[in-house]
Amino acid sequence: MSNDAMPRITGSANAGSSRFLLPTRRSVLAGGAALIGGAALSAPYVSRAYAAETLKFWQFYAPGGTVGSQVTWFEQMVKSWNDQNEVKVELVYVPNNEYMNGSKLQTAFASGGGPDLFIISPGDFLRYYNGGVLADLTPYIDEAAQKDFPESVIANRKVDGKIYGIPMEVEPMAMYYSIKAFEDAGLNENDVPKTWDQLLEVAKKLTTSDRFGVLFETQPGYYQNFTWYPFMWQGGGDFQTAEGKSAFNSPGTVQALKLWQDAVNSGAAPRKPLGGGGWDVVPNLGSGYCAMQNVGIWAIAALREGAPDFKYGIFKLPQPAGGKYVTVGGGWAFVANARGKQVEAASKFCAWALGSMAPDSIQRVVDWCTVAKSDMPPRQSALEKGAAAFNEGMMKVFSQEIYPGTRAEPRVPPQVYKIISDAIQATQLNGQDPAKVAEQASAQLDGFLAGYSGAPIL
Amino acid sequence: MSEAMSRPSSTPAARKAAGFRFSARHREWIAGYLFVAPDAIGLFVFAGLPMLLALGLGFFTLDGFGGFQFSGLANYRRMFVDPLFLQSLKVTLAYVLMLVPSLYVVGLALALMVQKGSVLNAVIRSMFFLPQMVSLVVVALVWQVLLVDKIGLVPKMTGFLGLGGLSWLGDPDLALVSVVVVSVWFLMGFYMLIFLGGLQDIPREYYEAARMDGAGYFAQLRHITLPLLRPTSFFVLLVSTVAAVAGGQAFDLIYVMTKGGPANSTSLAIYYIYQQAFQYNEYGYAAAMASFLVLLLMAMTLLLFVLTRGGRFNYD
Repeated sequence: MSNDAMPRITGSANAGSSRFLLPTRRSVLAGGAALIGGAALSAPYVSRAYAAETLKFWQFYAPGGTVGSQVTWFEQMVKSWNDQNEVKVELVYVPNNEYMNGSKLQTAFASGGGPDLFIISPGDFLRYYNGGVLADLTPYIDEAAQKDFPESVIANRKVDGKIYGIPMEVEPMAMYYSIKAFEDAGLNENDVPKTWDQLLEVAKKLTTSDRFGVLFETQPGYYQNFTWYPFMWQGGGDFQTAEGKSAFNSPGTVQALKLWQDAVNSGAAPRKPLGGGGWDVVPNLGSGYCAMQNVGIWAIAALREGAPDFKYGIFKLPQPAGGKYVTVGGGWAFVANARGKQVEAASKFCAWALGSMAPDSIQRVVDWCTVAKSDMPPRQSALEKGAAAFNEGMMKVFSQEIYPGTRAEPRVPPQVYKIISDAIQATQLNGQDPAKVAEQASAQLDGFLAGYSGAPIL
Repeated sequence: MSEAMSRPSSTPAARKAAGFRFSARHREWIAGYLFVAPDAIGLFVFAGLPMLLALGLGFFTLDGFGGFQFSGLANYRRMFVDPLFLQSLKVTLAYVLMLVPSLYVVGLALALMVQKGSVLNAVIRSMFFLPQMVSLVVVALVWQVLLVDKIGLVPKMTGFLGLGGLSWLGDPDLALVSVVVVSVWFLMGFYMLIFLGGLQDIPREYYEAARMDGAGYFAQLRHITLPLLRPTSFFVLLVSTVAAVAGGQAFDLIYVMTKGGPANSTSLAIYYIYQQAFQYNEYGYAAAMASFLVLLLMAMTLLLFVLTRGGRFNYD
């Protein structure tokens, strides 16, 4: 390289007049950097301007859900709101498994974001309430509407008398069975088990080389805990005393752990459910993988949609000797992000959708529980308005036999449900002694509860 | 560059007269760094910075909603008395001990099997490598279906051996083994390619001379192939061990197939860290455990380097 060649390469004055016509390397780089920089700097303003008009509503039903009637319900609700309001709502679909067992929602909040609107179950209420991201919806709900929610339904969404979530539904757990499987085994509806012993006995009779007799959830997580609680309660067990100490080490708890262990050890219950898990009825009961399944009221709509020709029956949870009938009622609720950009609009949306005395709000709850899904309504007015639907077919079994014994799903912080989940897993799938496991879990619970300072665990 | 060229700019007065200009050596030096800069900045932003932040987070208690409090060494103390973390370390160790030798043996065996250049071997090589082209989530879902209790293809096939009643993903004694098998199936094609590269570097003359001396296949394997494959073996062992401890592929498989269950039997350290951070909002504790895991990996890598004298092999 020669000395006088260097200035030309760097595009100095020696390059002559052509430098004004042809872009130099430096000018291209500078222009590109300016363009990228400008775009990067303006992006937040563009996105903020868009976000200011739209409330993001995260849930696992629409627009990507697989059940058409539920997609329609959500879309119609949002369209109705958007037609009447300046601040729009946009549905953001998160697959069910990712929503319940994944990390998308938690991660969004941890990174300082999070949707303006989302749905939560009682099992996860305390995580968000204690994190300070649930908006107080009480000012936006009429007094009459507040009274329309039975205390047993709304209690686990309240703290200090204020409402932080408006329930969409009540979802009691029951047992479903395949009529064909019963007939193949020479059984009929008179053989429907009423006690735990009968449940195990019938499950063994229904077990074949291609089919399990009964299915309980086996995947760890708060859904599994939710489905196990009624078995614990039926024998008088609980996880917490009225004084806030652990009550986990009790005969009622131990026998509930043992029931699920016996079901697996006898070979009558699978160690792995199909599809999304124990809540998913079509791939399990509907496909013939099991003959009886412990699942909630939503399974009626799921079977109606996914296996319309499948013949099945429903019965309430069997009881232990000397125990009393009780089931658990879960259900999701609309909540607004207290740190969202438009908290008031988001809170108003929740109240407008599910918590108003306006006829369309009540009808929306009826439609959700009878057309889009199969659930018990969380409001007295909806129960009356949809009386006909709640008292026919399979819904009648729920409204008359199963629902009356419903206890609300407990709300616990993640640390508590992890302890309970580990106890269930250790006994159900790892063959550990239920009494010993209950004792260890109880000690862990006591350790956690002693230092806990969030909203009351119910 | 000649001295004559650099001399005019070597004094301040001369530099001032000619305008400020870097010497050619400096320009090359700057150009070199500019070429490396995009990669270096990317690495720093997406790997270095998160690592530093994670290291710092380990000294805080975070609630997952923006609240944090300095907690000193509490998270580090907690991990050594947390039975689930200790169990996850045991599960990780078992996973490494099962996966690394299996991958080594299977990868090498496949490479030896298909090393000769023929159309058939090319097709077979492609088939073994094919799993690498599929998303791990798809791989996990497919294997989940194959392993379904009672009605899956694997239970049906093993039923003839009286093993049809086994629950491959639901039994704590078998779930980790199943994950290892799927991991080996997925990764074997990749390691086969690495071994093929190593085998091609071995001069053919050695084998010819050995054959003339009457050495059979296994004698050649023992005295020529394996010793000359030491650099490749070192690379394979190092990479597969790091991948196994860091849970590279295993995380996806476990997330889809077992969720760390049954009874935490497939909860590798990396999965447990994920659970603590993203499911239980224990970000500080998870960061402390992650830092500890990185330290373990660094120590292990260092040990391997010391044992092999920095990856240099002496064939004398």
